[in-house]
Amino acid sequence: MRLRQPSVWAPIALVVVLAMFPAAFPDELNYLGLGFLTFIFVTLAVAWNMVGGYAGQVSFGYAAFFGTAAYVTAILWSRYEWEPVLTLPLAGLAAVAVSLIVGLPCFRLLGPYFSIATIGVGEAARVLALNLDQLTGGASGLNLPLSVPSKPWFYWSGLALAVVAVSVSAWMRASRVGLGLFALRMDQDAAESVGVNSTVYKNIAHSSSAFLVGIAAGLYVVYFSYGHPNQVFGFDLSIGMVLMGVIGGVGTLWGPVLGAAIYYPIRQLLLSQSNLVAFNLLVYGGLLIAIILFEPGGLLGLIRRVARR
Amino acid sequence: MTSPLLRIDRVTRRFGGLVAVHEVSLDVSPGEIVGLVGPNGAGKTTLFRCVVGALRPTAGAVIFDGRRIDGRSQHALVRLGVCHTHQIPAPFADLSVRDNVRVGASFGRMASTARATVSSVLAQTGLDQLAETPARNLSIGSLKLLEVGRALATGPRLLCLDEVGGGLTPVELERMLTLVREIRDAGVTVLYIEHNMRAIRAICDRVVVLDFGEKIAEGTPDEVANDQRVIEAYLGEPAAR
Repeated sequence: MRLRQPSVWAPIALVVVLAMFPAAFPDELNYLGLGFLTFIFVTLAVAWNMVGGYAGQVSFGYAAFFGTAAYVTAILWSRYEWEPVLTLPLAGLAAVAVSLIVGLPCFRLLGPYFSIATIGVGEAARVLALNLDQLTGGASGLNLPLSVPSKPWFYWSGLALAVVAVSVSAWMRASRVGLGLFALRMDQDAAESVGVNSTVYKNIAHSSSAFLVGIAAGLYVVYFSYGHPNQVFGFDLSIGMVLMGVIGGVGTLWGPVLGAAIYYPIRQLLLSQSNLVAFNLLVYGGLLIAIILFEPGGLLGLIRRVARR
Repeated sequence: MTSPLLRIDRVTRRFGGLVAVHEVSLDVSPGEIVGLVGPNGAGKTTLFRCVVGALRPTAGAVIFDGRRIDGRSQHALVRLGVCHTHQIPAPFADLSVRDNVRVGASFGRMASTARATVSSVLAQTGLDQLAETPARNLSIGSLKLLEVGRALATGPRLLCLDEVGGGLTPVELERMLTLVREIRDAGVTVLYIEHNMRAIRAICDRVVVLDFGEKIAEGTPDEVANDQRVIEAYLGEPAAR
């Protein structure tokens, strides 16, 4: 692997084109909504990849951050009448707090043991949220105010958040933090033996990534004006973050972006057609098997291999 | 005699009922190359691991530059200036040789001058030709050099080497010993575990011999090589007459 500076002009051009879409097609509300949610999922995938990819710690518990942050925004907005946007930093910080509570014990475990522990954390958070119905609305969910910003506003906010996430990820790769994460992923003992405090660096990656996930969750719950534990703490959300990374290419900068851009629209398509809903999991399962068998580097790995020919 | 840089004070390490190291004491003065030898299973590696922070001694103390260091984590010891290499090379396989050295330089005591450290270490180890090669493609000789280079990049005051001469051709071994001598001449103290007696005799100022977890001899390489107990430990007792 070579750690080189990626070129910046192609991504900037892409962002400019994407940013012009609402101005060019202000009435395509469905596509604006799809765009917003895709940007949210790009953010989630890119954030997850800092821990699952760079640090090699595959977590299945990110819904715990997403759900906590979503409810922080939901409650401050609906009960205390905060401006939704002002709740976002707090949502991010709440996710950071959860990430430290989860990370400090779980990062003592290595490899699959860490992954299994995070499954437990995610599910425990969901069950807890379902039972704290005074706070979360429990199984009937929490209805939120209906006065929300316009679709283009969400679209642009989502795009801006995704750009921030990719920038943080690019910075991390090129920085000392990224170097430490790559080292501990490849050989934790060797990394410790040359001075990398693996616990500290894992937690740095975990909390940076949780902050981004928390802001994404806040925007998400405002967009839907509704929060339900099974939705914002859902296990499929955690699995989705892993899948997006694997589809696009774990540990790369652009892999998770590509993965999310493919995963989320396909998921929406499958879920919106009643005769396709049943195939939802089949498609992901098949995709996952195909990637692990034929191209563990994900789509980005495949593209690179083809480009080299 | 100057005060020792490293003092191992009656260190014992047990694994369940097995006493791997029993009350071994040993001093290393600044600027020395001290060899740690002994037959297989003598406890060399266990003692070494107690010094570098990979194992906690069951009893006794390890004192570095006046401070107790036993029980401290490896990354904390690197910051104090104690770094070690791995007997079986443990490179960051997907990173280039340069980035491997960069990890040592960025997280050791030399972090503020990491860039300059990387190029000087690459030049000193002769790995500059291979700087952009992924570590997974290196030969065993280059991997051993990378182990030393990566540790050296952390800016150690005490460098602990674990069989860096093992598996090398005579030419590679000569090059490695020259490198170790250069490192010492630049002011780094060296604790060196080695099986290869030729390497030990070539560069060590002093040798400590372990057998069954106990120190059985200590002295210059020549003194130790002629010590009756050492000869018995390696070759067995003389046949009964």
